Amino acid sequence: MCSGLSNNEETTDFGPNLKILTPNSQIQELQTIIRDKNTSRSDFKFYADRLIRLVIEESLNQLPYSDCHVETPTGAIYDGLKYRSGNCGVSIIRSGEAMEQGLRDCCRSIRIGKILVESDSDTHIARVVYARFPEDIDKRQVLLMYPIMSTGNTVLQSVNVLKEHGVPEQNIILSNLFCTPQAAKTLVRAFPKLKILTSELHTIAPNHFGQKYFGTD
Amino acid sequence: MLNAKAKQLKFDPPSSASSSASESDDRTDLNVPLYLDPIVKEDHNSITDYGCPASPITVPEKTSRSNSSDSNQIRLGPPRPGRRQRTTSINQKTTANPAESIIRSNNRTIYTAGRPPWYNCAGQQVEPFVIGICGGSASGKTTVAQKIIESLDVPWVTLLSMDCFYKILNEQQHEQSLANEYNFDHPDAFDIDLMLDVLTKLKEGRKVEVPIYNFITHSREVETKTMYGANVIIFEGILTFHSSEVLKLLDMKIFVDTDADIRLARRLKRDISQRGRDLEGVLKQYSTMVKPSYANYIAPTMVHADIIVPRGGENKVATKLVVQHVHTQLQLRGFKLREVLAHSYTNQPMPESLYLLPSTPQIKGLHTFIRNRHTSRDEFIFYSKRLIRLVIEYALSLFPFKESIVETPQGVSYTGRRMASKKICGVSILRAGETMEQAICDVCKDIRIGKILIQTNQTTDEPELYYLRLPKDIKDYKVILMDATVATGAAAMMAIRVLLDHDVPEENIILSSLLMAEIGVHSIAYAFPRVKIVTSALDPEINEKFYVIPGIGNFGDRYFGTEPADEYYA
Repeated sequence: MCSGLSNNEETTDFGPNLKILTPNSQIQELQTIIRDKNTSRSDFKFYADRLIRLVIEESLNQLPYSDCHVETPTGAIYDGLKYRSGNCGVSIIRSGEAMEQGLRDCCRSIRIGKILVESDSDTHIARVVYARFPEDIDKRQVLLMYPIMSTGNTVLQSVNVLKEHGVPEQNIILSNLFCTPQAAKTLVRAFPKLKILTSELHTIAPNHFGQKYFGTD
Repeated sequence: MLNAKAKQLKFDPPSSASSSASESDDRTDLNVPLYLDPIVKEDHNSITDYGCPASPITVPEKTSRSNSSDSNQIRLGPPRPGRRQRTTSINQKTTANPAESIIRSNNRTIYTAGRPPWYNCAGQQVEPFVIGICGGSASGKTTVAQKIIESLDVPWVTLLSMDCFYKILNEQQHEQSLANEYNFDHPDAFDIDLMLDVLTKLKEGRKVEVPIYNFITHSREVETKTMYGANVIIFEGILTFHSSEVLKLLDMKIFVDTDADIRLARRLKRDISQRGRDLEGVLKQYSTMVKPSYANYIAPTMVHADIIVPRGGENKVATKLVVQHVHTQLQLRGFKLREVLAHSYTNQPMPESLYLLPSTPQIKGLHTFIRNRHTSRDEFIFYSKRLIRLVIEYALSLFPFKESIVETPQGVSYTGRRMASKKICGVSILRAGETMEQAICDVCKDIRIGKILIQTNQTTDEPELYYLRLPKDIKDYKVILMDATVATGAAAMMAIRVLLDHDVPEENIILSSLLMAEIGVHSIAYAFPRVKIVTSALDPEINEKFYVIPGIGNFGDRYFGTEPADEYYA
């Protein structure tokens, strides 16, 4: 197990809307490679994309669905389920955009909105400088994508913008790779109905993610 | 793709359990999809792949690799002119009539010459039938072997010659051989231990590397011949009955008893007219070594024979009797594997080696798409791929991992995990398993992929092995074995059996599928309890056509767009 993983007591503190990807050795390996400073950029991107794909797949599990029955080629009936249409993705520029491809790989023609949040280098106060969403976003389930959270301020502002656009808090699913307990606490407190999905809760966030992923380090 | 190719090509019968350089000459990887070719090193023209006579004599002049109509080989291509001379030991050939091995009905091409199961429903090997043929030099052993192979009409026959096991000569012995003074007819000329080892492994159904002996240099070629997968093994040579250990391995012992005058006459003719040797040398060798050896070592072993065949290959009645006996023996060992598999294990708890993906709404939603008969192929492929990716990711997590501490750019060290072994390879069971290859390449950089083609025989409903190509050192790898669906588990079991025969430890195999039937899981887990079984869904039943119910239908047909009309499933 990862030494830095918060203990269970702390995790349960965050309520039922914070979900952590079921940890298995494979996912831990991906996290290890992403955190390792000696990982080459090409490897970094490759393994980050794999982890993103898994997080996205898991996030989609949070979407609402209904039961349905289909006939298989053998003539038998399969009791399956059907997802409702009317979902969209929103990525927080810039590192959130790294997760767009993962979403596209799962939902081919999904609409994707964008938010640009800038934080003041002195006060660390984040403010939204750009937002562009599908027109009917208030009627959609929103998959908000942002891979790294250390303070949670950026996401906090983004969720506020979404709410301003009429998206109900419970319709937002946050897809995240690495989250600090502090950020989790901030968000859960501010938005008790927001669904959060992350792959790891750890006191140190790999803040180099965006730079290394896009090669601007 | 394979099917399409086969229609255009005249291919060699998929019956050969190995191949030789002379066969692989005119082939490329692309046009030999339908026969088993586990060659390890591609023998190129560098070796002169000739057989050798029972009593080998160095041939001074090198002849070009010229013909194929020799007596050791049954060949279906156009005959090449001239009789070839043998400078290296010949291993094996098998036969089958390509015209009979394919049946085309409507749009379906049916191959009947794959290898049926060679193990029972517990996954255990059933030994191949081993025929030993002994007899003096030039008595016609190979002719008898060839006649038996022809009349047997069984695919997957291996012919192993004792000549492969001649000892490597030192310089002095080499000189002797040039002066016709080295005794190739003496038991000491053979490496009996190696011979025993190879034959034992073959009898256990394992893959073996058989040496190729070069009669010019009197040493073994660097290349070896890979032999794997025989239902019948024919082992022929002048002293096959000499070792009591070897004798124990033989299920049937044939002694070819040809009159000494005839044998001498054949030798004279062969050595003088075909090998350019002089009468004196031939006679000297015959009288000083060949004849005494026959009297001292070969003739006395006749007592071990079950059948003594006078007049060699000309003796049709004897051949017929032998063939009848072999057929009876094979039938006694035959299997109706799938039937047995489909009717065992009901209401038993699922085995511990089964790893079912957590049933999330996404997985169920994906299954809903791909199971729906009205899903278009475009969507079918898209959603299958998503599901496959999840299965592969899950399968990878089952390999052993170890703790790893890394430095992070944040200046603190992080205790994580890395896979214990980097050596992972994928093996897909064609055709449906091939659809999973992309996903494994997407998650493992530069992974090696092996392929095994198994098709169901439309008349017997048994799986048959047609082709396999695996990474050379597969025994050192962890293997993800991929097939899209597992119904009775018959094909998967055959593929696992192939991997085990290639010395892959059972616990290093993970079988991964999108959908399995409970019966198939039970069968595989019973036969191979240490193989991990991964699937994204488990269905309760299979129908009389061995389709999973409710199932997906024929996954390969739907993915590749080769599905027949609807009534096929009815």
